[in-house]
Amino acid sequence: MKPAPFDYRAPASVEETLPLLELDTAVLAGGQSLVPLLNLRLARPEVVVDINGLAELDYLRADGGPLRIGAMTRQVTLERSEPVRRGWPLLHKAVRLVGHRQIRSRGTVGGSVAHADPAAELPAALLALDATLHMRSTGGARRVAASEFFLGPLYTAREPDELLVEIEVPGQPDGAGAGFAEYARTHGDFATAGAAAVVGPGGHAGIALFGAGPVPVRSEAADQALASGAGAREAAELAAREVEGEHRRALCTELARRAIEEAMA
Amino acid sequence: MGTEAGLSAGRLVGRPVRRREDDRILRGGTRYLDDIDLPGAAHVAFVRSPFAHARIGGIEVPDGIAAITAADLDVSDLPVQGIEGGEVSADGHPVLAGDEVRYAGQPVAMVLAESRALAEDAAELVEVDYEPLDPVLDARRSDVTMSRWHRVSGDVEGAFESAAHVVRASHSLPRLAPVPMEPRGAIASFDAAEDLLTVWVSAQDSHRQLAGLARVLGRPEDSIHVIVPDVGGAFGSKGAPAPETMAVAAAALATGRPLKWAEDREENFVASYQGRGMEAEVELAFDGDGRILAVRARIWADLGGYLMPTTAIPTHTTAMLMCGVYDVQTADVQVHGRRTNKVPTGPYRGAGRPEAAYFLECTVDVAARELGIDPLELRRRNLIRELPYKTALGWTYDSGDYARCLDLAEELVRPERGGDAERVVGTGFGMYVERAGGQFETAEAELLRDGRVLVRSGSSPHGQGHDTTFAQLAADRLGVTLEDVELRFGDSKEVPRGVGTFASRSVAMGGSAVIQAVDALKEKIEAVAAGRGLREVAARHAGLRAAARFESDLVFSSGAYGAVVEIERSTGRLTVLRLVAVDDAGTIVNPLLAEGQVIGGTAQGLGQCLVEEAAYDDEGNPTFASFVGYSLLTAAEMPGVIAEFVETASPLNPLGAKGIGEAGAIGTPAAVANAVADALGGAGVDPPFTAEKLWRALG
Repeated sequence: MKPAPFDYRAPASVEETLPLLELDTAVLAGGQSLVPLLNLRLARPEVVVDINGLAELDYLRADGGPLRIGAMTRQVTLERSEPVRRGWPLLHKAVRLVGHRQIRSRGTVGGSVAHADPAAELPAALLALDATLHMRSTGGARRVAASEFFLGPLYTAREPDELLVEIEVPGQPDGAGAGFAEYARTHGDFATAGAAAVVGPGGHAGIALFGAGPVPVRSEAADQALASGAGAREAAELAAREVEGEHRRALCTELARRAIEEAMA
Repeated sequence: MGTEAGLSAGRLVGRPVRRREDDRILRGGTRYLDDIDLPGAAHVAFVRSPFAHARIGGIEVPDGIAAITAADLDVSDLPVQGIEGGEVSADGHPVLAGDEVRYAGQPVAMVLAESRALAEDAAELVEVDYEPLDPVLDARRSDVTMSRWHRVSGDVEGAFESAAHVVRASHSLPRLAPVPMEPRGAIASFDAAEDLLTVWVSAQDSHRQLAGLARVLGRPEDSIHVIVPDVGGAFGSKGAPAPETMAVAAAALATGRPLKWAEDREENFVASYQGRGMEAEVELAFDGDGRILAVRARIWADLGGYLMPTTAIPTHTTAMLMCGVYDVQTADVQVHGRRTNKVPTGPYRGAGRPEAAYFLECTVDVAARELGIDPLELRRRNLIRELPYKTALGWTYDSGDYARCLDLAEELVRPERGGDAERVVGTGFGMYVERAGGQFETAEAELLRDGRVLVRSGSSPHGQGHDTTFAQLAADRLGVTLEDVELRFGDSKEVPRGVGTFASRSVAMGGSAVIQAVDALKEKIEAVAAGRGLREVAARHAGLRAAARFESDLVFSSGAYGAVVEIERSTGRLTVLRLVAVDDAGTIVNPLLAEGQVIGGTAQGLGQCLVEEAAYDDEGNPTFASFVGYSLLTAAEMPGVIAEFVETASPLNPLGAKGIGEAGAIGTPAAVANAVADALGGAGVDPPFTAEKLWRALG
């Protein structure tokens, strides 16, 4: 369990990083997913670009508008942020279930998003919150909605020469509630499945499932049903109706119901 | 009650003394295998088979890579231990594969380099020409038998023909990975001038490694020195010598270079021998009053591609315990150990006993449901009440109070069943009797110049707390404090030849040897003391020594476990609400450490129930080669465990001790499985009790 040989670069800024990004580069953020993949030789990049020196990407900003999360913000920072807990409680609830405390102290928000594990908590929460992902390359800047970003297991809309720099989460309507539920074999293990829900006044609803397929999924049918007054059970069934596998579907339905009820409580 | 101890309690024996080794361990003062760096040592990585079954056409080593294959080594296959009253085949594990590989992960070649990372790089470049063959993955479908055992006692046919009821049940337990915190490893260095091979190995004792090395390398034992450093857990998996250890030692001899192999987690998962992997069909014949007339059992064991030295032992233990705690003198039990294309199995905490308890106790619960008798009442009608008791299969249970254990378990667990719209609840019990101890163990005691006593033990710790319990025993016999006793273990040139730490035998066997050695030393001291104190005697008679070799038949611990579980209807999620462990391990030397053993064993038993399974895909590839594929319980999943002891002294050793190290792993699966079946209204489901399996069983 030692990585195959690779070249190592540790740029000091985003400007220095962008020219280094190519097809066979891997970006090292918190390393909680990449390093095990390297050690198992499942990932064999030619170059590892370590962005831990990019202090400029370590920030949380919420000045009355949307929440802006620098890609290098550690998960523990998000977990402990009081403005996040108050303004975006779904993120607070989701991040607490990412791995173990030791993992969250190193793991980054951007890393979790860019890695795109189908069982990951943060991508589903960001999908439910209609987040936008900001990327930069030597060619310029680009923004992609969370709903367009996750394309498959460990596969996203990010091009090899792009760096995820910021996650933007719109402000939540007053009175919006959040619910998050997951099932994992053991505490801190990868989730088998889970659900994230935000429900607010005026028909605002966002339900996302994870561990339910190759990417986190948002159910418009469930969102609309909730907006038009459906109960949690009915909305949960709609949210999970496309999930493959009888037990996984049952699990997703139950977890969605719990998340929605928690959001409505 | 029978709680009289064989040894009158001294000041320390029977007291919950805290482990005195922990201070050193917690401060990082330990020296594990990987902490040892010999100057000039090369690092070893193994080229392992990616196929479950293949013929090897040839091995090509690119220039510049130092690789060693079977052709380069002058070694025998690993030896195979036989089983009493049965047969084993000559399928000893080769050190490195010859022209065939029989499991994915089997060592094919070894590469030497200046670091482990470079060795792994080089190992990738060794080209092995494999011709894949069809793997056999199901023991029942294998046509190669590697171990066989069959015993019939009494008129079994007659008993089944005349029975008022016959109950049949089939059950299986999946393979489990032992997962010690410290993986395996070995370091070897050859001093040609002295003709001495020194081998450091992470193992359960030094002398079995020594015997294995001497046999495989064809060297006299006195030309090999085995040193066991601190060991970070084993659970059985470091008992038998590993093929990799043999390869490292043989290559150190062949190259003259010190070599180090410290395996990683992935290797430990795929190449360390596993536990369980048995299935059984059990039939019980009952008379009209619910008395068991006869037991009939057919057991199939998935032994893997080769026989490790101890692979067949657990199958024999399972077979011998198939009458459990019940008074039945008519039995027909057979075990078929089959070759499959998986890593070999071997002793893993419980080592055949959890299988026996699970197969028999689950069948007893099936019988209770079919006969309409309460499962506890059915057990009480059949328990052995008078001991010693010679079983139909040939072992003699030395002591125990099975009824008392069951009564206590029932009282403590507070049975509960039923449920509501959200969940179902059930209660189950599992009883066990287990072999412990046996063979011999050794110790030497020596008076040091400062008046302290040095005890060298043939038994060797890897987490059990020998340094504390053995010191308690020695200090009490000598009338001194714990600090006046120093223990040494694990060096084949220093400690007397011992048997080792396995089969819950350390206190009963090693502890008895310690007190005999200390008693003999005390006599010698008294003979020269002429009224003087120990320190004064020491000043004049330092180096006074006495040795002991303690031998005994097997002793039999026993117990009753109770569990209350809840299953969520919507998801199938299982929660263990209460777990009670009542164990009779005879005299308890240190209740704190004994309880720790029970809780640890229970956690492993629960892991088996909830999440653990070393599963292979259809091609025989392990799907469990990391902690992503193989899950272990965390503290969060552990219910509070109530552990109580019933102490019936064994008549077979001066302590009255039996064994406690494996109890939790033995009693837990049967109790939880019976609780799950109770909650499900009798559905037969085998571990691991995943949410999906239970959800389907709920319908």
